[in-house]
Amino acid sequence: MMQRKMRGRGVAASWYGIARTATIDRAGAWAELDDGGTGKIVTGVTEIGEGILTVLAQIAAEELGVRPEDITIGDNDTARSPEAAHAGATRQTYMIGNSVALACRDARTKLDAEIAKVWGVETETIRAFNGEIWSEGSNLRMSMEEAVDLCKKRGIVPVGSGAFTAHGTGLDPVNGTGSPWQAYVFGCQVAEVEVDTVTGEVQVLGIWAAHDVGRAINPRGVEGQIEGGVVQGLGQALMEDYQLDKGHTKTHGFAKYILPTSLDIPQINTTIIEDRDPKSPLGAKGIGEPALVPTAPAIMNAIYDAVGVRIKSLPATPEKILAALAERAMRTKGVAA
Amino acid sequence: MSDLELEMHINGRAVKRRAAPHLRLLDFLRDDLNMTGTKEGCGAGECGTCSVFVDGKLVKSCLMPVGKANGARIETIEGLAPKGGDLTEVQRAFHKTGASQCGYCIPGMVMAATSALRENPDAGIEEIKERLGGNICRCTGYTKIFEAVEIARDVIAGRLSAAALEPDPAGNSFIGNNVRRLDAPSKVSGRLRYAGDMVMPDMLHMQVLRSPHPHARIRVIDVSAAHALPGVACVITAADVPGEDGFGVFVHDQPIMARGIVRYVGEAVAAVAAEDVLTAKEALRLIKVEYDELPAVFDPEDAMKIGAPVLHDYAPTNITKHIPIRKGDVEQGFAEADLIVEDYYETQQVEHAYLEPEAGLAYVDHDDVVTVISPSQNITHHRHMLAKIIDKPINKVRFIMSPVGGGFGGKEDMIYQGMLALAAMKSGRPVRLVYTREESIISTAKRHPARITYKMGLKNDGRITAVEFKMISDGGAYGMSTEGVMRKAAILACGPYDIPNVKIDTIGVYTNNTPSGAFRTFGAMQAQFATESHLDICAEKLGLDPFEIRRRNMMQDGAITHTQQTLGKVSIGTVLDAAETASHWEAGAPGRGESRSDLGGEGTRAPCTLGARFAPAVAKVKKEVA
Repeated sequence: MMQRKMRGRGVAASWYGIARTATIDRAGAWAELDDGGTGKIVTGVTEIGEGILTVLAQIAAEELGVRPEDITIGDNDTARSPEAAHAGATRQTYMIGNSVALACRDARTKLDAEIAKVWGVETETIRAFNGEIWSEGSNLRMSMEEAVDLCKKRGIVPVGSGAFTAHGTGLDPVNGTGSPWQAYVFGCQVAEVEVDTVTGEVQVLGIWAAHDVGRAINPRGVEGQIEGGVVQGLGQALMEDYQLDKGHTKTHGFAKYILPTSLDIPQINTTIIEDRDPKSPLGAKGIGEPALVPTAPAIMNAIYDAVGVRIKSLPATPEKILAALAERAMRTKGVAA
Repeated sequence: MSDLELEMHINGRAVKRRAAPHLRLLDFLRDDLNMTGTKEGCGAGECGTCSVFVDGKLVKSCLMPVGKANGARIETIEGLAPKGGDLTEVQRAFHKTGASQCGYCIPGMVMAATSALRENPDAGIEEIKERLGGNICRCTGYTKIFEAVEIARDVIAGRLSAAALEPDPAGNSFIGNNVRRLDAPSKVSGRLRYAGDMVMPDMLHMQVLRSPHPHARIRVIDVSAAHALPGVACVITAADVPGEDGFGVFVHDQPIMARGIVRYVGEAVAAVAAEDVLTAKEALRLIKVEYDELPAVFDPEDAMKIGAPVLHDYAPTNITKHIPIRKGDVEQGFAEADLIVEDYYETQQVEHAYLEPEAGLAYVDHDDVVTVISPSQNITHHRHMLAKIIDKPINKVRFIMSPVGGGFGGKEDMIYQGMLALAAMKSGRPVRLVYTREESIISTAKRHPARITYKMGLKNDGRITAVEFKMISDGGAYGMSTEGVMRKAAILACGPYDIPNVKIDTIGVYTNNTPSGAFRTFGAMQAQFATESHLDICAEKLGLDPFEIRRRNMMQDGAITHTQQTLGKVSIGTVLDAAETASHWEAGAPGRGESRSDLGGEGTRAPCTLGARFAPAVAKVKKEVA
């Protein structure tokens, strides 16, 4: 005898490619060590909410030797900033992050050379972090503000540029052979669900999400991407359904097109795996899109585990679950008879 | 109708104004007072982005006629933290936890969270979730928002030190550090202006006339009456396009506005720029369009049949793109299999539902540069396309990205920026367009739906010998990203598994449905949904644990992919181990359900029963009555 509320678990794995598919991807950035020991980055980056501006500020701060709050980012304006291409394909941290790192290194090379001359040390001994610059193995040290001022007084503006390329190749039109990406990520999610066998409703109570991101520049930001991706995947798995009738939309508002709200959210338990990318300066890969790939199948597999019905047509609405349960009951009865 | 005389207290200041009687409180705040921290997400009380306090109660300001707020005490997001003052605990907690992503829902969410803690300073997490239930967030998955509200609650109550709101220490590297989002203060305070919040002097407002038919020939468009309406600056149609009309990511098959033929319901046919939105709307009603309806096709498999209506001359079979992948010999692979499992999967069309509807502002600057400000995910590409469309050198076209209130792929296509540019050129004035939610839903691209036939051959030990995978996707009326989506779906279809023989086909098809376009995962989730479901079916048939069947097939370092690319290091094994360990997974074949011993442990939440938080109170009342 089936209880009213039944629980089960399912798992799904996934993989994804980083940056544009089956083509050469590229991005550019400019960097300047600016007055006051601040940093100025200009690049055609597009913050769409994922936190890329903060990620770039962290990368720039690290590379320039200043603090993230010292960084000003001039973002996307086709008449003012170098091309960094689009916000999509899980490419911005990989493509633009590396471009910014390279641009900052270029600017630092110029600053470091001047400071090394002033101190009479080898350029290679120069280090900088958190607004301070020093020569390794000596007590020579000054603030980045002083260093920039000194550099400029010697006639040098410490500016740099950087560009990063990812080498994908096109697919053969007949057999699809090709190397579409130079970096891949992998993921796996486990879902635990509770199915109400009377109403057909499914609640997702827990998701364990493990994703390789290469290197987490901002771990909390990575979690945010995974949580957001999981909930979009949950929406597609259980409720979202854009419906047309002879080309006319039947779901033209949020009263008809149902989205997950705060009451639908499972506890999301994230494990970040850092398998660094060997083909880029930072080693970071990406997470934006891959986060939601395994969610829906993990939930469908969990529903099957819980109540023995397999929903092969998304979304798994209460109506579909009830119909499948009824069909299963008929089948079981038939076997028994 | 004459204007209303209004007096109210807004954020502690007395406001005395005249306002048009049709305004909603939301319009009054945003348009008359330029307080744009309160956002419009749906206009129907369904998303919560417009939440404000009216006499201390949380209200959706899109549902309140401004006259109803007369005499009231209003508090908006701008009033929570005084100008130049500290952010509130709730706002600081949102900053700390990373609770804002695109930020568009956040002013409303902060108001709802503030309301929750004002109503009950000791609210538990279940009550907090219920009180946030009227506010939709599409980016965050709500988790960091819950964390923020709990931290704020405990700081306000003095249970947690205010230091909990401070940033984490930097350590010895900023990379790998939870640096707080630099853009969060502007988002939690409502200061950040999205395109729909921007105004320019002398700005016109645009409205768009859309097709009521899924497929029809336009016999004539008569705009003369609309153009003659006082307050109308210009009316534009396809006839106003000076250059080569057509945009799209892979094939430029979509005109800025319908050119002779409409191919889906909601397609732009003409647009008006006028002094205000009402005049522009009135002008739309004066545009006369005569259509000859054409046979339409709504099913991708019907669309591929001989004799089906053809949408685009260049594609007589209605196939937008077919991507084949072949590796090894699938017939040989199936012959070697101990078990062959065949099945069929479907996924639906999905709306992006970013909380910020499409919006943009265009003008021609002093150097004759046609400039478009919009929350686009791909302005570099837009600039290339628009330069051709308006026949200008590329340095006379400028795109500026405005803050993007959620995209997920849905803002990659140049669906309205061309109309804005044309109207700015024709009128010589700045022009703004803000979509309604309904307009956004019916006229913009969706996630490609998929129909997948799957055949997998396996040995008794679970090793896959061959896969035959075919996916047919409805791309709708225009090409948009269909080619790329089919390509990515094909490459990734068979998952991170080492399979010697594969035959993969993905086919994108034109129909007269709402177009399908880019959407987070670009085809990968549809394809892998099928693979991952199918693997579990096979695991059960073979009596294998789901992790085990995946491990027996997973790619190893140096694996050769389905497209015959040789990989370096492959992390799938590490990732599987991590998920299995974290979830304390109990091994066994699928279909065990309630007999499992790993259910309901740490890492799960309690199931939710609506109104459960009131249950103790109700029980108490009943007891007292008894």
